[in-house]
Amino acid sequence: MDVTITPQPVAPVAGPAVTERSQARRETFRQLVRRPAFIIGNIVIIGWIITAILGQRITPYDPFNQFFAGHLPPSPEHLMGTDRLGRDVLSRVMVGSRDVLIIAPLAALLGVVAGTLLGLVMGYYRGTVDDVLSRIVEAFLALPVVLVALLTLVVLGTSPLVVVCVVGILFTPIVARTVRSAVLSERQLDYVTAAKLRGESGPFILSREIFPNVLGPTVVEMTVRFGYAIFTVATLSFLGVGLQPPSPDWGLSVAEEYNNMISGAWWPTMFPALAIASAVVAVNLIADSLQSVLSE
Amino acid sequence: MARFVGRRLLLSLITIWLLVTIVFFISNVLPNDVGRTILGPFAPQESVDALNARLGTDRPIIVQYVDTLIGVVTLDFGDSYVNDDPVLPQLAAAIGRSTKLAGLALLLTIPIAIIAGLFAARRRDRVSDRAVVLLGVTSSSIPEFVTGTVLVVVVGVQLKLLPVLATPPPNADIPTQVRYLLMPAMAMAIVYFGYIARMTRAGTIEVLQSDYTRTATMKGLTTSQVMRRHVLRNALIPTVAVIAVQVGYLFGGIIAVEKIFNYNGMGQTMLFAAQRKDIPMLTAGVIVIGIVYMLATLAADMTIAWMNPRIRLDADR
Amino acid sequence: MDFPKLDKVRRSAAPLQLDVVDAYVAGRLSRREFIQRGAIVGLSMGSIGMVIAACGGTTTSPSASGAAATSGASSGASSAPSAAGSPVSGGIIRIAGQRPVKVDPVTMEDLGGYGITSQSFEFLCTATNKDLVSIGPGLALEWAPNADGTVWTFKLRQGVKWHDGTAFTADDVVATMERLVTAGNSGLKGVLGPGGAVATDANTVTFTLLGANGNFPYLVSVFNAQSLITPKAYVAGTTFDKVPAGTGAWKLKTYNQQTGATFERNPDWWGGTTPLDGLEFIFFDATGPMVTAYQGQQVDAIIQFDVLSGKSLLDDANFNLISAPAALHRQIWMRTDTGAFADKKVRQALALTFDRPALIQTLFQGKAQLGNDNPIWEGYPYYDSTVPQRTRDIPKAKALLAEANASSLTATLHAGQLLEIPDLATLLKSQAAEAGITLNVAVESLNTFYGAQWCPKQVKPEDPPCFGAAELGIVDYGHRGTPDVYLNAALKSKGIWNSSQYGSTAFDTAFSDFQKAVGVDAQKAACNKMETILLDDTPIGLPYFYNYLAGSSKAFSGLYASGLGQMFFSAVSKTA
Repeated sequence: MDVTITPQPVAPVAGPAVTERSQARRETFRQLVRRPAFIIGNIVIIGWIITAILGQRITPYDPFNQFFAGHLPPSPEHLMGTDRLGRDVLSRVMVGSRDVLIIAPLAALLGVVAGTLLGLVMGYYRGTVDDVLSRIVEAFLALPVVLVALLTLVVLGTSPLVVVCVVGILFTPIVARTVRSAVLSERQLDYVTAAKLRGESGPFILSREIFPNVLGPTVVEMTVRFGYAIFTVATLSFLGVGLQPPSPDWGLSVAEEYNNMISGAWWPTMFPALAIASAVVAVNLIADSLQSVLSE
Repeated sequence: MARFVGRRLLLSLITIWLLVTIVFFISNVLPNDVGRTILGPFAPQESVDALNARLGTDRPIIVQYVDTLIGVVTLDFGDSYVNDDPVLPQLAAAIGRSTKLAGLALLLTIPIAIIAGLFAARRRDRVSDRAVVLLGVTSSSIPEFVTGTVLVVVVGVQLKLLPVLATPPPNADIPTQVRYLLMPAMAMAIVYFGYIARMTRAGTIEVLQSDYTRTATMKGLTTSQVMRRHVLRNALIPTVAVIAVQVGYLFGGIIAVEKIFNYNGMGQTMLFAAQRKDIPMLTAGVIVIGIVYMLATLAADMTIAWMNPRIRLDADR
Repeated sequence: MDFPKLDKVRRSAAPLQLDVVDAYVAGRLSRREFIQRGAIVGLSMGSIGMVIAACGGTTTSPSASGAAATSGASSGASSAPSAAGSPVSGGIIRIAGQRPVKVDPVTMEDLGGYGITSQSFEFLCTATNKDLVSIGPGLALEWAPNADGTVWTFKLRQGVKWHDGTAFTADDVVATMERLVTAGNSGLKGVLGPGGAVATDANTVTFTLLGANGNFPYLVSVFNAQSLITPKAYVAGTTFDKVPAGTGAWKLKTYNQQTGATFERNPDWWGGTTPLDGLEFIFFDATGPMVTAYQGQQVDAIIQFDVLSGKSLLDDANFNLISAPAALHRQIWMRTDTGAFADKKVRQALALTFDRPALIQTLFQGKAQLGNDNPIWEGYPYYDSTVPQRTRDIPKAKALLAEANASSLTATLHAGQLLEIPDLATLLKSQAAEAGITLNVAVESLNTFYGAQWCPKQVKPEDPPCFGAAELGIVDYGHRGTPDVYLNAALKSKGIWNSSQYGSTAFDTAFSDFQKAVGVDAQKAACNKMETILLDDTPIGLPYFYNYLAGSSKAFSGLYASGLGQMFFSAVSKTA
């Protein structure tokens, strides 16, 4: 999903610009916090983050080594029932948040950092550099993320590190394109010309003048990428090339148990699936709120 | 216009070369034994060596790379490592199947999503607008494999409304084919509804706020006339762009859906080619996907240019 | 004991067949073992029945004689009237089968290929509907060994025609065998050499083996999947979909590797008119969708599925479940030459932590049989049951670990992503923890697992096979009619699949005795020795042999399978 946003830049004067900028930021923040979507999204995500951090300390049972009877339906003792081996599903769903919330943000971060750098360079310098890099970016964009990730994981083996790197690298072109568009609009503005006339170097202009003004779309993009990362990692785990058993990863749990839905055991599949959906929805709500606020 | 298209095609060739190189690199970055992978762990070593010699996978990497490139240029993608049959016919059949599925999914989702987007934009910030946005965000957050499994179990097995295997009997008529493909198409359509509806809404809002729309209204045109003559064209521009880009994501979603519904389309074919290190099939498949993507973006860009003369004249993308 | 009846059989029996009869009469073979063993050495069903009747028994109905040990409501197969007798019911059966990789009869190596080719082609010795070990007459009517088991004579069925109308003769058999020997067929390697098969007349083939082999008929039976008989003019490398041929009940009509295959009845089949008009195969890549397809009523039968994805079928009242005990198993290999498991006390300790009944219940819903850390399945006729079954004993395990100074043993348990193996690893981990052993489970996809953990390619050519294998891992083994392959490859010194690097001269000797043995007693004695040695040395842990699961809807009856991907429909009729 590619959203190109052109935010209005703040008045280009050196000194007062700093305070004006932070004032604007505070105002934006205040607007954000008033939106219900933003609040709900944050509650859910922070809830999962806390669950991930506390991990086994707060699970009702041991998610790895405690076995009860297989496929017990949800009951007061087991709020989400047990899976085919008899492990408590609630405990596994809670601990499963850890893998997702480590891998997905890292992949998103990698993609955003690399993509932003790339986009800044491409958008500012133009010329041959931009042409060559654009072709490479286009080539990567033509590759479906899941397929390439699949292929790489099959070849290199499925370790969390490879998953982070592959997904991150595959997100880079999209971020780069968004940032590049934003930079293209910015660089024509007066304050950039002023800086150039002052004799500032390219990197300085990029980091001090342009980057803060493209921060808006970048932050939105980061959040969107985070949502996508969760989605993609879950899909890869479902296809069998993400995290491996006995990890309680949500996508993997769905893959392991979905065949059993036919015999009536819906809970080992539905609860991890709902967990995935809730995390992605939450992140997307946050992204959506950010986008609305920043585009006003 | 011709120059525009011509330049794009030329650049596309470079992109295709890059695609092939990337795929080749990924497939061969680790020393792998193609013969062993095909014949399995229990086959005698002599058979494995013989197979490797026959496939040419025991030659130096550079030689294999050049061979692959030549193959791409001459459109000879060779035979599959796995079953010795030419790659292209198998791929063509798989693409045909996936296109039907994806086509049905888009057919289901695009009209509804656009209408929903327009509807929401007209009633901006009212309850109905918020509802549509929420629906859009939620539906695009549920992975296809989740909706797929729920549909299979609830609609297919419990209610027995639709067949659970997506492959229709051979020579089935169109209504039957649609019936078989309906569930997997729905699983994909649900996800794309969200994106397209929100893009349409965003584009429409921007246009509604623009000067020329206000001018049109002030000139005395009714809202529906304004919508028809000015808003629709320009609001759909980002939507068309999104749909083109979705080709890539469509493919990702298709892999999971095809797995659940046992539908032998591109997704399954690529999945197994990857697992069995069937490099000719993989290379050909990725190139095809890449070409489809580029044609889609080209078509999208041309449609946008036709819709908005200002963009057409601005060659700077 | 009806001596006249008995003597009638005795008089016409070859020495090896006599040996089997006497073993049964003396009580050294159970009835089931006698039926299986007798068929292998070439006693006709009639003779076998006569001997059993002479000893005061009756040949029990097929399903009862098939079920062995634990599994509850299992049917060895549905009762199958021969095709010639049953009325034509018409109709087509839709079958869910594994997608074939290759359908070249000589070089195919996957279960999907075996399943498809075995519909049109036939073997000298076929499977029966009794169990997954017995063989019966196919294209060969009877066979008999000479005194020491080095020469086997097969009498062929007469009046058999190929699908194109030409007659089937001994020349076709000889040509097939030569083709297989040239291609290095793994079943016949070292047993039959070039020119070993000779047509002594139009309907008789004599096999002169490279050495004595008491199990030879197995190697030209359905259990050596590539040994199906192809016409003399067949060119090696021709795949079945390009050149359909065969003598069997079904003629290939269409084949599409992407979707499926269809067969129609062969009106000239020697077995008579099949009740069904045709077969429709639908290819799948995983068992989950097969089960879903059955539940969605888009297929009628499934060639093979597993408990993990097919739980719903186990209790389905409308599903005719075939739960045949089989030699399907997992081996937990441990490096005997180096690492944490080099001391056999440590290996025994780990094996003592296995809670085998619990594994069988959780992973297979009870549809499996106990394994005793050796691959000689109790379903084999020469299995020796006098070797004590190892059971869970945590205190003893702890004691052994203490003796070996390994009380806080830690190791990585490698496993491939296949069916229930990751779950097995998880359960083993928690079972071993009770004795203080810490296992870290590492699951990876099959394509990397086999090459990286189970049997890496040798670095130095002088290294034995699988030299770089991981010190502890789980690998899968499919069903075989005899354990020769398991013993030869996985346990014999320098075996091609010997990941544990096990090298025991005592075992090698016992195995060689077993291979040479042609008499029942000698085979059992050799098995006893092997089982005892393996139980003591424990190079592998083998907790269970699980049942082969297949089945159809109750609307069809009469199908049976071999356990090797092949299912037989010539006697299937539609009842509903």
